[in-house]
Amino acid sequence: MLKRRTPLAWKNLTHDWRRLAVAIAGIAFAVLLMFTQVGFQNALFDSQVKVIDDLQGDIFFVSKAKYTLAAEKRFSFARINQARSCSGVSGAYPVYSELTTSVLRKMDRGKGNRGFPIRSLGFFLNDPIFKSADIQAHLHLLRPPGSALFDQKSKAKKFNFPKDDDLALAQQALELANKNLTLVGTFDLGSDFAHDGNLIMSAENFATYFPHRKRFGDPLSVVDIGIVHVQDGFEISAVKDILTQTLDKDVQVFTREEFRAAEIHFWDKSTPIGTIFLAGKLIGFIVGMVICYQVIFSDIADHMPEFATLKAMGYPTRYFIRLIVVEALLLSLVGFVPGAIVSRVLYGWLSGQTGLLMYMTVSGVAYVYVATMCMCVASGMLAVRKLLSADPASLF
Amino acid sequence: MSTQTTIPATSGAFGGDMHLPKTVKVKNLQHFFGEGELRKQALFNNNLEVRRGEIVIMTGPSGSGKTTLLTLIGTLRTVQEGSLQLLGNELCGADRDLIVRLRREMGFIFQAHNLFESLTAYQNVNMAAELVGLDPMITDGRIKSLLTRLGLGDRIHYKPNSLSGGQKQRVAIARGLVHKPKLILADEPTAALDEKSGREVVTLFQELARDEGCTIIMVTHDNRILDVADRIVNMVDGHVKSDVAVQETSVICEFLKDFPLFSDLTPTTLAEIADKMMVHEKAAGESVIRQGDAGDLFYLIRGGSVDVLIDDGKQENKVAELKQGQYFGEAALITDEPRNATVVAKEDSIFYALNKEEFQAVLATSATFGEELRQALFNRQ
Repeated sequence: MLKRRTPLAWKNLTHDWRRLAVAIAGIAFAVLLMFTQVGFQNALFDSQVKVIDDLQGDIFFVSKAKYTLAAEKRFSFARINQARSCSGVSGAYPVYSELTTSVLRKMDRGKGNRGFPIRSLGFFLNDPIFKSADIQAHLHLLRPPGSALFDQKSKAKKFNFPKDDDLALAQQALELANKNLTLVGTFDLGSDFAHDGNLIMSAENFATYFPHRKRFGDPLSVVDIGIVHVQDGFEISAVKDILTQTLDKDVQVFTREEFRAAEIHFWDKSTPIGTIFLAGKLIGFIVGMVICYQVIFSDIADHMPEFATLKAMGYPTRYFIRLIVVEALLLSLVGFVPGAIVSRVLYGWLSGQTGLLMYMTVSGVAYVYVATMCMCVASGMLAVRKLLSADPASLF
Repeated sequence: MSTQTTIPATSGAFGGDMHLPKTVKVKNLQHFFGEGELRKQALFNNNLEVRRGEIVIMTGPSGSGKTTLLTLIGTLRTVQEGSLQLLGNELCGADRDLIVRLRREMGFIFQAHNLFESLTAYQNVNMAAELVGLDPMITDGRIKSLLTRLGLGDRIHYKPNSLSGGQKQRVAIARGLVHKPKLILADEPTAALDEKSGREVVTLFQELARDEGCTIIMVTHDNRILDVADRIVNMVDGHVKSDVAVQETSVICEFLKDFPLFSDLTPTTLAEIADKMMVHEKAAGESVIRQGDAGDLFYLIRGGSVDVLIDDGKQENKVAELKQGQYFGEAALITDEPRNATVVAKEDSIFYALNKEEFQAVLATSATFGEELRQALFNRQ
């Protein structure tokens, strides 16, 4: 038979609603801190790889020297042809990318304002490159010379163009790399830490704007990203192995997940960003622990004679430890829920403000909850020593 | 079997139901506080036995060690030196498991109520009940009847905040009693209570002691409830100064009053004499005193019977047979002469004996004593 025990942990926690409110506010604050860090970090990483997510294809290859997407290291078009010759490959396509020379400038009465670098992506319009239906629908508009699609999530501060009105957008007087540019429509990609905005255009236009990509010869003969589509019925990993062996060693071959992971790994480990966010999360954790410790400790301190009485009655040590663990878990729960809700609201607001992709993933929520739980239980275990020191002999 | 013990007659060890099991058995118990140079002895060589179903009241000035003794009996302090047996278990060197198990067989009532503010009266009491794993249905009934009995029937589900001091104390008492403890340790349980509820509490104690064999040890200065005590233990400076079974003492006083020399003494003086008497045991056929020996003790027969024999030089003649409540041996003490008769136990008997110095000291307290004495001796012949 299941015995229903007096829920002492819950009762003690909820008895004084003022103290409970302070506890909830404190823990929720710590949760918010951690969520913000996790959110920013994920947003950063997700933004960095958003372009990968938007590309079609199963296998990707880039120059061996390209340690991140923003690094302008290229490989020869010959690798694309090599890839096309491999078995299991249904198609291999080049994607061109340019950042440093790709300066977009708004013209005002014949004079140029200050220009800002924007990432230009070029591809052959017949190649299945982008997943986005938006882009597919606008492909025909990209055929005329001097036309491009504009990423409407580009930073508004630098690229303040009318996004909702294609006509007005087309009337903007713009120069890209000192040549006239007409924006014929918009698409969605988003900015990241290296790129403030994006343009996409046909490979032919791309070659016109950036003729000096290669010092001598065809600017389209150097490729930034190679995309491979695998034939139905072939294992992606098997095809990847074949490509690795076939292609010259100046390129590195990834599956979609590997490509994504490698890019995130660069930002996480090779830049201070990972450490900064870890420090941020730690601060949230410590703040939460201090608050939680205070709450549990003062709860114990205020009830020392009562706990000593329980000891005298014959409650064993493990009962008190369990009591505090349960109290800590309850605290983590009642603090986490409002913290998560506030964080969700904040995420929405920050996404709108920064264009960063901030959303709550299951893994993010689980990560923060586990951290909150550890934080509460750890501080509970620190405070429980006080409880275990309760001396029933002092009661008489 | 012939023993001359150091057990005081008033301890009741040989009166009443002497074969009831002992709930508490304290032997040569010492206790110290502090370490090294600051080490200070709080209890000195204490002995105490408490029988099942007894209600013991402990008194004594503050600092006399009664609280220390109570916490030692309650397993709340570690026994350092000596022996302390609780419900048949030795506490000196006992492990945690035994102590936790023993604590569940005890009920504690502290001077402060120590109730959880967050729990209702019912839940507070239930904390003690659910620990020992009683059937919830039975527990429920018991909690409610206890609280009702203590005048809290309409406040069973109130939190301590909405109860008065006395009501809180009564909840704490219910918590101490709900799990049918074998031993209740209480510290001023009635101090916060008015006359009526204080009386209700001690009546409850008496019922538990009588019906469930529950032993109760309480420290109290509340003389309104002294009448429930089976035994009163007085502690001074870390010693059990007196340990008096109330019932046995009154029996002794009744016996002593029949002794003409003592008939004028006040009950207080009689109780003092009773306090100074020691238990002696003799087997059937053993002689208690011998004619011609120097007299050193005055005897009161607590149980059994004796023959008085006088040797007239040719043979021993039986001159009298004495039974329970009668006395002998006083003549030699009064006249400072050798014993004028031999006394032999007819069966296994128990005597309470008073030594010569004490006997004479008592007599000296009475101004009319000399006269009385001569009268008495004269009348006897």
